[in-house]
Amino acid sequence: MSESQSHSYVKYSNIFFALCICTVLSIIFDVLDLKEKDVVGIKGFILLAFLVLAVACAKALFVMIYFMHLKFEGKWKYVLLSPTIVLAMGLTIAITPDIGIHYYTNESPQIDYLEQAQQAALENDSAKNAENNHVE
Amino acid sequence: MGLPIPHSKLGMWLFLATEIMFFSAFIGAYIVLRAGSPGWPTDPSITHIHIWAGGLNTFVLILSSYFVVLALESMKADNFAKARRYLCLTLLLACVFLGIKAYEYSGKFEHDILPGHIPETPRMAIDKSMREMKQVVDNRTIALANIPLPEKLEPAKPDETIELSGVTDEKTEALAPPVEELRQKLQAELKAPDTSESRKKALVAYFALDNKYRELNTRALDESITLPEMNQELETLKKNPDYGAFLAPVHHLQPIIYGNLFASVYFLLTGFHALHVVIGMILFLIVLVQGRRLCDKWNDYVENIGLYWHFVDLVWIFLFPLIYII
Repeated sequence: MSESQSHSYVKYSNIFFALCICTVLSIIFDVLDLKEKDVVGIKGFILLAFLVLAVACAKALFVMIYFMHLKFEGKWKYVLLSPTIVLAMGLTIAITPDIGIHYYTNESPQIDYLEQAQQAALENDSAKNAENNHVE
Repeated sequence: MGLPIPHSKLGMWLFLATEIMFFSAFIGAYIVLRAGSPGWPTDPSITHIHIWAGGLNTFVLILSSYFVVLALESMKADNFAKARRYLCLTLLLACVFLGIKAYEYSGKFEHDILPGHIPETPRMAIDKSMREMKQVVDNRTIALANIPLPEKLEPAKPDETIELSGVTDEKTEALAPPVEELRQKLQAELKAPDTSESRKKALVAYFALDNKYRELNTRALDESITLPEMNQELETLKKNPDYGAFLAPVHHLQPIIYGNLFASVYFLLTGFHALHVVIGMILFLIVLVQGRRLCDKWNDYVENIGLYWHFVDLVWIFLFPLIYII
């Protein structure tokens, strides 16, 4: 009994450290500021989202498999959990075409303002560049 | 026949299955709304979302999950005193989590990053500042006239302030206190010869503020003032020694595109998660008040609340990258 006890203690602490390392990894991805950069042809934002969500999935699996003991449970776990996962993904996929991806252009004051701000930023940049060139 | 697990554990797993759908509906809606809203606010200086707070909270929850596992292991080894210690630590960490969350929420309240409060364009920001300034002037009028302050005030003449469609609060429209009458009374008092010097000074400051408000409001109405100019004006007014202190409730103007949607989703997700943390704390308290009576009859209970707590941790594991990083 005591031997298996100490064994599981070591195992759980390993999982805890793995989870901590994963958290630090997510923070490192944030600090690297991938959003504005393009890495090997992939848009930085998509790469960042992919990386941090992959880390989150790994952490979730660690917690579910070891802390929630799913590794040691019977086959009932598949029967019970798979429908919920399917329904959860289904909802997101179902609302994506209308709200997430538009075939039409949104018309709202926010979008107008965004366009104005982007336009102003572009003009500012080109003005600055022109000034720099002038100085050189 | 049946599953080789206790009924209570099966019940908990079924409940957690419904919880997965509950949270994934919110998280899924957030991801989709986020993807469909170009210019979603991500700049920490605008949203006041700090990665260190989220990262620290992630660590706190992971550590508490680890302690719950150790508590269950101690229960199974009949070491109940040790189990109690670990459960106590878990409860403490839950408090720390809520403390950090409360700190973050207070920052949101301070900067008025609340659903329905955020201006999304410069015009809306100017409109909001004029409403806040009108509120300050009205409150000052009532304070000087020494009558009890009503709960909420609305401009005496709605046509006096700029109103954009959709911004008007119809509920408070009917409540129009006679602020204008009070103002005239104060004006008469200022001119009266028997008014004391200190009172006169307060009245002069009030009328200076009132005039400044009227001037700015006129400029806002005919759209001859830009957002940076308005911010500049408000900063200067706030530094005024006579009435600057009254203007504290007027916020620095910062339009946030999709800020209201962002705030709604933020409070919905983190609010429901925090509610789950509070319920988890109650569940831990139930077992902790048993004190020395804790025995192996509680093994299943501790295992089930452990499962619940790990689920709360699991939700945060996804909320952290989605809200704080992406």
